[in-house]
Amino acid sequence: MTSEYMVQLKNITKKFGKDTAVNELNLDVKVGEFLTLLGPSGCGKTTTLRMIAGFEKPTEGEVWIDEKQVAKIEPYKREVNTVFQSYSLFPHMNVFENIAFGLKMKKTGKDEVEERVRNALKLVQLEDYVNRKPKQLSGGQQQRIAIARAIVNNPKVLLLDEPLGALDLKLRKQMQLELKHLQQSLGITFIYVTHDQEEALTMSDRIVVMNEGKIEQVGLPHEIYEKPVSKFVADFIGETNIFECVVSEFKGDYAYLDIKGVTVVTPKNDTLQLDESVYMSIRPEKAKVTLTKTQDTLLSGTFKEKIYVGSITKIIIELPNGREMVVNEVEDDLIGIKSGNEVYVSWQPEDSVVFKG
Amino acid sequence: MIKNIRLAYSMLSPSLLWLLLFLVVPIVMVTVISFTTSEGYGGIIYEFSTHAYETAFLSSMYLKVIWNSIVWAFSATVICLLLAYPFAYFIAHAGKWKNLLILLVMIPFWTNLLVRLYAWIILLNGEGVINHFLQNIGLISEPLTLMYTPYAVILGMVYGFLPFMILPIYSSIEQLDKTYLEAAEDLGANPVKTFFTVTIPLTLPGILAGFIITFVPAVSVFVVTDLLTGSKLVMVGNVIRDAFLIEMNWQLGSALSILLMILVLLSVFIFMKFTSSKDKKFLI
Ligand SMILES: Nc1ncnc2c1ncn2[C@@H]1O[C@H](COP(=O)(O)OP(=O)(O)OP(=O)(O)O)[C@@H](O)[C@H]1O
Ligand SMILES: [Mg+2]
Repeated sequence: MTSEYMVQLKNITKKFGKDTAVNELNLDVKVGEFLTLLGPSGCGKTTTLRMIAGFEKPTEGEVWIDEKQVAKIEPYKREVNTVFQSYSLFPHMNVFENIAFGLKMKKTGKDEVEERVRNALKLVQLEDYVNRKPKQLSGGQQQRIAIARAIVNNPKVLLLDEPLGALDLKLRKQMQLELKHLQQSLGITFIYVTHDQEEALTMSDRIVVMNEGKIEQVGLPHEIYEKPVSKFVADFIGETNIFECVVSEFKGDYAYLDIKGVTVVTPKNDTLQLDESVYMSIRPEKAKVTLTKTQDTLLSGTFKEKIYVGSITKIIIELPNGREMVVNEVEDDLIGIKSGNEVYVSWQPEDSVVFKG
Repeated sequence: MIKNIRLAYSMLSPSLLWLLLFLVVPIVMVTVISFTTSEGYGGIIYEFSTHAYETAFLSSMYLKVIWNSIVWAFSATVICLLLAYPFAYFIAHAGKWKNLLILLVMIPFWTNLLVRLYAWIILLNGEGVINHFLQNIGLISEPLTLMYTPYAVILGMVYGFLPFMILPIYSSIEQLDKTYLEAAEDLGANPVKTFFTVTIPLTLPGILAGFIITFVPAVSVFVVTDLLTGSKLVMVGNVIRDAFLIEMNWQLGSALSILLMILVLLSVFIFMKFTSSKDKKFLI
C-alpha cells in the first residue's frame, strides 16, 4: 500500500545556540502535492527545507520521508533533491555535466544518462545549451538548469528555496506557470519556499504560513486568503483592513462588534463571547463606497483621497473614530468628490473575518 | 575623462616606479652583462659576446645542475602539495581554531630559513637524533646517511616552503562557497566523491598559485644544499652565486640567471597550460 503522505514533520524544533529557528512544527505533505512554505524573512522556511534535505539535524522531533524516519540517512542517500536559491550550478562543469552529475553518482549507464539529460533539457526548453558554462547563461536560464539538474534524478520530493527570487517580475510570472505545469506533469511532490504571497497563491495546492518558526495556518490558497485564522495571516496575505473591536451584542445569526464607537456586523460563530476583544478583517475589494446611504451601509466616514493604481482605484476613508480604511473600487463612481465629503461604506457581513490574535 | 586617466597614472606611479627600479632595471642589467666580454675577476668589457652562453651550454655540468634543480624543486613542490592540501583543508574546517592554526603556519617566517635548517642538521646527522633513535629501537645497526643526499635537499625544501603552499590553498578552500558542496551531496555524491568532483576542481586556482610560489623559490634556493649536503650537492642557485662571488665571472652568472629565469617561466607556463587546459576561463 502506498502511503498518503510523502513528507511528515513530527514536532520538529531547530535551535541555533539559544535562537529557535523552527519551533515544534508539525506538517504532513501529501504525495504529489505542491506545498508552499510562506512567511516573512527569518521565519524558518529555509531551515525547515534543510532539515528535510538533511543538511541540518532537528534539535528535537522527527522527519519522515515516504514512511521512513530519516534521522540516520545522510543527505546524499535521501531521495530528495533541492533547487537552491542561488542555483549553485557547478561553475567548472558545463550544462550537460551539471545535469548529469546526479545520474553519474548513481552509476547510471552512459546512454541512459545521455537520454535523460536530453529529456530534462527538453522539459526546461534549453536543448541547445548543453555545452555552455553556467556563467554563460542568463539568470532565468541558470534557474531552469538548476531545476533540470534536480528533476532528472526523479526524486520523490523536490525542495525549492525561493527559486524565482532573482528573476524580474515578467520572467518570474512566466516561470511560475512553467513550474506549476512541470510539477503537474511529473507528479513529483514539491515543497516550495517563498516570501511572495502572490506567488504562493498562484502556484500552490496548499499553503503553510509560518511566523517565527511556527505554523500560523495551513490551508488551500483561497482559505488562506478568505479565511485567515489570525491577525498575522490576514495582515501578511494581501492587503486588508484590520480593526480591534469588542463583541457587543448577538442578534440572530450575527454578532455586533464595537470598533471604538462604530458598530459593525459579522456572522456569529461559536467561539465568540460577549465583551470579548477580537480583531475583524475586511479586504479592501470586498467593501464598497457610496455617496448616499443604502440599506447595506455599515459605516459612515469622510473621504480623504483616491489613489489610482491601474486596474483599481484605492479610496482612503477616515472613520469617525479617527481610524483609516482602504476600499478598492474597480470602477470609480465617485466623480467630483472632494476631501472631507461624507461617504458610506458597506460590505456583506459574510465577507468579514473575525479572529482572536 | 583624460583628467581621470592622468589621476589614475599618477596614483599608480609609485608602484610603477618600484617595479621599474627593482624588477625591470635589474633584469635588463643582467641580460646586458650576460652578453658582454669578461676581463677576468669581475671586470666587464662592453663588447658583445656569447661566450658565457657557450660555456653554459657546452659544459654538461651546468645543464645537469639546472636539470637537477628542476627535478628536486618539482619533487619538493609535489610533496608540499600532497602535505599542504589535507592540512589546509583541516585548518579551513577548524572553526574557531582557524586563526591560531594559520598563525602557527606563519611563525617559521619569523626566522631565517638558514637558521631553521641548522636544526635539521642536528636531526639528520650520522650522530643525529634520528639515527640515534633508529639505532636505539634496533631498527638499524649502522647510522644511515641521511645528509648529503638529494632526499635531504628535497626534505629541506619541503620544510622551508610548505607554508607557501598551505596559505593559498587554505584561502581557496576557505573561500569555496559551501553551497556547491551541499549541491553535490544533494545530488547523491558521498563526501569522498564530493571532494574529488567539486572541492578539488574549485580550489584549483589555489593549488596553481601554491605550486608556482613554491616551485619558483625552491628551484633557485642555495642554502638548503649548502647546509644539508655541506655543498656536496649543488643546485643552480649555488652555481650562480659561486660564479658571481667566487669565480668573479659576472657574464656566466648572468647567463645562468637568464637561463634559469627562462626555464622557470617555461615550466610555470607548461604547468598552467596543463592544469587549465580543460577550463581556462574558469581559472582566470
Ligand atoms: N546556521 C545558522 N546559524 C545560526 N542561526 C541561523 C542559521 N541558519 C538560520 N539561522 C537563524 O534561524 C532563523 C530562520 O532562518 P531561515 O534561514 O530558516 O529563515 P527564512 O525563513 O528562510 O528567511 P528568508 O526568507 O530570509 O530566507 C533566522 O533567525 C536565522 O538567523
Ligand atoms: Mg531562506
